Amino acid sequence: MIFFRITLYFIFLFYTYQSYSEFKYEIEIIEISDGTYVILGNNDALTSKNGGAISNTGFIVGKESVFIIDAGPSYIYASEVINKIKHISKLPIKYLLITHHHPDHSFGISKYKELGIEVIMSQSEITRYEKYGNRLLRQMKSLIGEEWFENTSIIQLDDTIYNFPFKINLGGRIVEILYYKNGHSEGDLIVRDIYNKLVFVGDLVFNNRAPTIPHANISNWSNYIDQIYNDEWSLLVPGHGPLIYDKKKIFKTKRWINYINDVAKNAANKGLSPAEVFEEGIKAEFKEYKLYRETWLRDLPLLMKKYDE
Amino acid sequence: MYKFYLIIVFLFYSFIVNAGPFSDFKAGAELSEELTSSPTERRNTPNSDSLEQALLVLDPQNSDMWDYLQISLLGENSKVSFVEDVKVIMQDHIEEPHEVPLIVKLPNRLHNFQKLILIIENNPIQQVIALTPFKPIEALGMNVRLEDDSPVRAAILDNYGVWNIGSKMVFVSSPGGCSSPSCDPTVEVCEQGVVGKIAVKQYEREGEAERIKLKITHPMETGFVMNVDGDLIPEYYVNRIHVDDINGPIADIATYAALSSDPVILLDLPEKGQSIRVHVKDSQGLEFFSYNNNSM
Repeated sequence: MIFFRITLYFIFLFYTYQSYSEFKYEIEIIEISDGTYVILGNNDALTSKNGGAISNTGFIVGKESVFIIDAGPSYIYASEVINKIKHISKLPIKYLLITHHHPDHSFGISKYKELGIEVIMSQSEITRYEKYGNRLLRQMKSLIGEEWFENTSIIQLDDTIYNFPFKINLGGRIVEILYYKNGHSEGDLIVRDIYNKLVFVGDLVFNNRAPTIPHANISNWSNYIDQIYNDEWSLLVPGHGPLIYDKKKIFKTKRWINYINDVAKNAANKGLSPAEVFEEGIKAEFKEYKLYRETWLRDLPLLMKKYDE
Repeated sequence: MYKFYLIIVFLFYSFIVNAGPFSDFKAGAELSEELTSSPTERRNTPNSDSLEQALLVLDPQNSDMWDYLQISLLGENSKVSFVEDVKVIMQDHIEEPHEVPLIVKLPNRLHNFQKLILIIENNPIQQVIALTPFKPIEALGMNVRLEDDSPVRAAILDNYGVWNIGSKMVFVSSPGGCSSPSCDPTVEVCEQGVVGKIAVKQYEREGEAERIKLKITHPMETGFVMNVDGDLIPEYYVNRIHVDDINGPIADIATYAALSSDPVILLDLPEKGQSIRVHVKDSQGLEFFSYNNNSM
């Protein structure tokens, strides 16, 4: 009889272990300033361990409502975030801003929509999300594992056209939303928390990590980084990587994107094969960026093709 | 009696252990440029310790395939010499197996060669191209399909009748360059596009030398890819490329579906060609010309 009980105990243990540790994100909320919170992503590649939660998301709590920045990679992620927010504030979550359509920033949208939240997203990114979302979702599933994407779906979004820049009052707290066209994506949105002098910039800035460029216009993006540098802020939340207090750090993004751009342009003009460019290697300074190899190997041929027309 | 329960416990444990974070999710073969901010994790990536192992695999003595390949592709009585100065330049680790760029650089002593054959041992389509030159050629580039981890070998027949072979070991993180679709019709519209459009570009190199770049639009169906209904899409590929210029033929290339779709060929020549012309044939007997073929 006792062995029967021991067996049951172990079976119970394994099942609870399973539901406890699998397909659950490790959401850690950091209050970076009065009423403003950040959830730092795992600054790494998409893996079955991190479930795609590689980008930084955040939220701002006013006296009347809560404003969320980026939805994370899945329904499950968004659910966990919402639960955690409820422990911090009972105020209604009214706004969700999506910086751009890439899955690690946007695929949690379907959960937020269930709450009837207003989704703020630029037109170009809505289009990309709706058009390519399902294809990307399938790829994410086969890359990381279907289980992470249970209940995640691509939904139709309202066709609200926003006139950027504009401000939202969360009750004694004003956030400003700015639009950058054709930078990292076709329409990046950034959020300024004016009271705390901080700014969420989405993937316009990557910290400690090689930036990715599939939809980028490099020269615009480079200029936008200059603009962001000249703005007034004391803390910047990048799309990936640790928080930035030292303004100069944002230039690392600029250096990479201009470097890969120059190499690609040059190579395309000479009719080189990507194989030859890879053979030449990367300048030492860029080897400090996380995932530099994978990003270089993936993005360089893409850029070369663009310049090959 | 307790043994029975222990067995149950063991079975449950092994069942659970194979699910979730412990299981090995195989990355899908389609890797789109659209996909986000991040590259994927690699599977079975050899670390620096196993680089020696990679070299071992590269050794034709250890390849089960090689003896057979030598006879069938190079000839029954062929003589081979594995050399260091034929360089097969490619990445060590490939994420996107449908379009892998490579370039074969030949040492001076082999610029005048008889034939060049490119072989990917572990592909279902092992021969990629067989090139017969009519002029000296210094290097040859192309984009290929890799089914799985494989030695890639460039075999060059010199004027002494010996095949000089340069090799490169390549690892693929998501296999299926020949057998999986690069465009998945269940989630996107796969546009065929025009077949047989040829673009020719010339690039200057040092001195008088130049590079010719050919681009041909063509699906290069391998015959190993299944469509949505589970049927194999029949093979359909460019099988002959002939390049010449005002002075005569430059190269005659037999090609196979191990080349990527919309194949790109690079040819490095010591002398600039004049009025390069390209004539392409495919496996359905269609012919395409880069020039107006009214020479009749």
